[in-house]
Amino acid sequence: MNCCSISFTSYSDYLADKKYLGGLLILLPEKLNHEPNNEDKGQVKASLAELEQLLLHQQVPYPVYFAFQDDHFDNLLADIRKIASSGQPASATTGGYKLVVSTPEPRKVASPTISNIQGWLPGLKGEGETEQLPTIAIVANYDTFGAAPALSVGSDSNGSGAVALLEIARLFSRLYSNPKTRGKYNLLFGLTSGGPYNYNGTNKWLRSFDQRVRESIDYAICLNSVGSWDNELWMHVSKPPENPYIKQIFEDFSDVSKEMGISVGIKHKKINVSNPRVAWEHEQFSRFRVTALTLSELSSPPDFLESTGGLYDTRESADAESVIRTVRLVSESLARHIYGLKGKNIDVFVENSSLAINPHYIQSWLDLLSRTPRVAPFLQKNDPFIAALKKELSEHTADVHVQSDVLDGMFTFYDATKATLNVYQVASVTFDLLFLLVIGSYLIILFSFLVITTRGLDDLINIFRRPPSRKVKGA
Amino acid sequence: MTVFHFLNCAALTFGPHVVYYSATPLSEYDTIGTCVKAAVVYLGTALVKLVCLATLLKVPENDSFDPYQELMKIFIGFIDVAGLYFALTQLTHRNISQNHKFQAVGLGWAFADSVLHRLAPLWIGARGLEFTWEYIFQGLEANANLVMTLSLAALGSLMWLRKNKPRTLVPIIYACALLLATMPSITSYLRRSLEWQTPKVVGFELFSSLVMAFISWQLFSACQRPM
Repeated sequence: MNCCSISFTSYSDYLADKKYLGGLLILLPEKLNHEPNNEDKGQVKASLAELEQLLLHQQVPYPVYFAFQDDHFDNLLADIRKIASSGQPASATTGGYKLVVSTPEPRKVASPTISNIQGWLPGLKGEGETEQLPTIAIVANYDTFGAAPALSVGSDSNGSGAVALLEIARLFSRLYSNPKTRGKYNLLFGLTSGGPYNYNGTNKWLRSFDQRVRESIDYAICLNSVGSWDNELWMHVSKPPENPYIKQIFEDFSDVSKEMGISVGIKHKKINVSNPRVAWEHEQFSRFRVTALTLSELSSPPDFLESTGGLYDTRESADAESVIRTVRLVSESLARHIYGLKGKNIDVFVENSSLAINPHYIQSWLDLLSRTPRVAPFLQKNDPFIAALKKELSEHTADVHVQSDVLDGMFTFYDATKATLNVYQVASVTFDLLFLLVIGSYLIILFSFLVITTRGLDDLINIFRRPPSRKVKGA
Repeated sequence: MTVFHFLNCAALTFGPHVVYYSATPLSEYDTIGTCVKAAVVYLGTALVKLVCLATLLKVPENDSFDPYQELMKIFIGFIDVAGLYFALTQLTHRNISQNHKFQAVGLGWAFADSVLHRLAPLWIGARGLEFTWEYIFQGLEANANLVMTLSLAALGSLMWLRKNKPRTLVPIIYACALLLATMPSITSYLRRSLEWQTPKVVGFELFSSLVMAFISWQLFSACQRPM
């Protein structure tokens, strides 16, 4: 019974009826790319997404476990089906099964922390310039959220964005290491947390900045879900496209995209300050009156807790090629903006040069992110993964700093994200009783036989006449 | 219901010993002391055996059947026979007939063996949630072992305690005793080398123990007859 074969309506009925279940075990296909063809793969993905949304938005009065399907489960399921179809109660030989999950009582995560990591690439001030240099921020949230926290690796949302950010940081650190090629802009790189929760981490991060620093940010580019697009990327803004800043950035992007043979569309969505829902990361910047945009493959804003890197968002759903194209688009247009190369058709990051984009670097970071579940409340401040991100960023940028804050209390998290399931074959009570009868009669027959052979039949009869203390002992 | 299953298996493993003691005249002559002494001798023998096994045998890397190692094991197995000899001849008993003596010694021996080898696995394993046939087979094995030990003790008492036995029967007695003493090695050979499954092995043990018991009984009654 893989995920596709669950009928969602029956599951919804189950929930609606509030039927009592001891728990629910959902078997996931071992790897999504093992499905025979793309159509099936898409179907599995879609049904997983639907299932996850159902689980997240409904009240489920029992624990739900996820496991990967394998041969053991196949055998078990075949056995269970056989028992169910025969309609007989389970016995020792036909095999009743008991599924036991032994975990300690889940405890509340007292104060879920979020860690934002930032790094600077300081620009070069001209001689005699006293004014603060303008800053361009590149931001991506790296954490995920899903119905199964230990399986929420979010390769596409938003591992791809985080990987693209690291590569852009690496490319520009090369340019900025030489004073001759150091631009007149500071570059700020931010890996933010709390993305699924209305970009709570981005809010905390921006709040921690000094007013002047915030004002020095010329614009911010947020990268969100850039791991699986073909030739259309969307630029989401909250200011009208006629705004001169937005117009200029958009032109930068579309110049490069034309050369690359891809198209970048622009989508404008006004923000409603009274609405707590923040659909895009740039909206947090906009609330602080900083010009910002989000680059994403998604053409419309996701709903709350949608596209946050859940069950289906595994390594197969992100593709290094898309990330490479995103990196090329962003870094070329940034370079043209920084060095004033607008309209000159000069490729800065040419392949086979020392500034080429490194596909292996992107691959390996995507692989690592796809192995690491990153639900923020379960990532401690000193988690090795956060330390790794910090170390990687400090390889390329200066003033790397991890800002830890408490996630605002909209959710309560409970630990125990992983558990071991034991499946026992158990004998039924009927079998035990039957077995007792067999042993009892065996012992009684043995007793009678021994008495008759060694002492004769009369003695046996005498024993029954006497108080039966000895017989009880024997049986 | 796992405790229930544990009790069932325990009854199957240890019940026959109790039944045997209470059903036969052993209980009437109060031979419990002899049984306990035999059990103590068994403990001592087991200790000596352990020391020998640890000194003379290497730890097997795999589960295969190594003839040299098995031969050593057979020789070490004969320590059991020596122990039985000690229990039958050297222990001073209250006036107890030869007939009852070998039964009491065999019973104490088998019971001590069961307790030492089977109680702990039973306690740990049979109370687990998982149901296996393993402990039921183990109980049946204990039954076979009881019969075999009794036969061996009977033959032992014929060999060492009875002086006037028919000459023609002596080689048969010795051959049977040898066969009984090597029985553990034979089952181990069947299990490991021929890779018999547990039910088959246990069936073989039960069958062979009954056959040996019958032969020993015939021999014993033949020796009982006045010459």
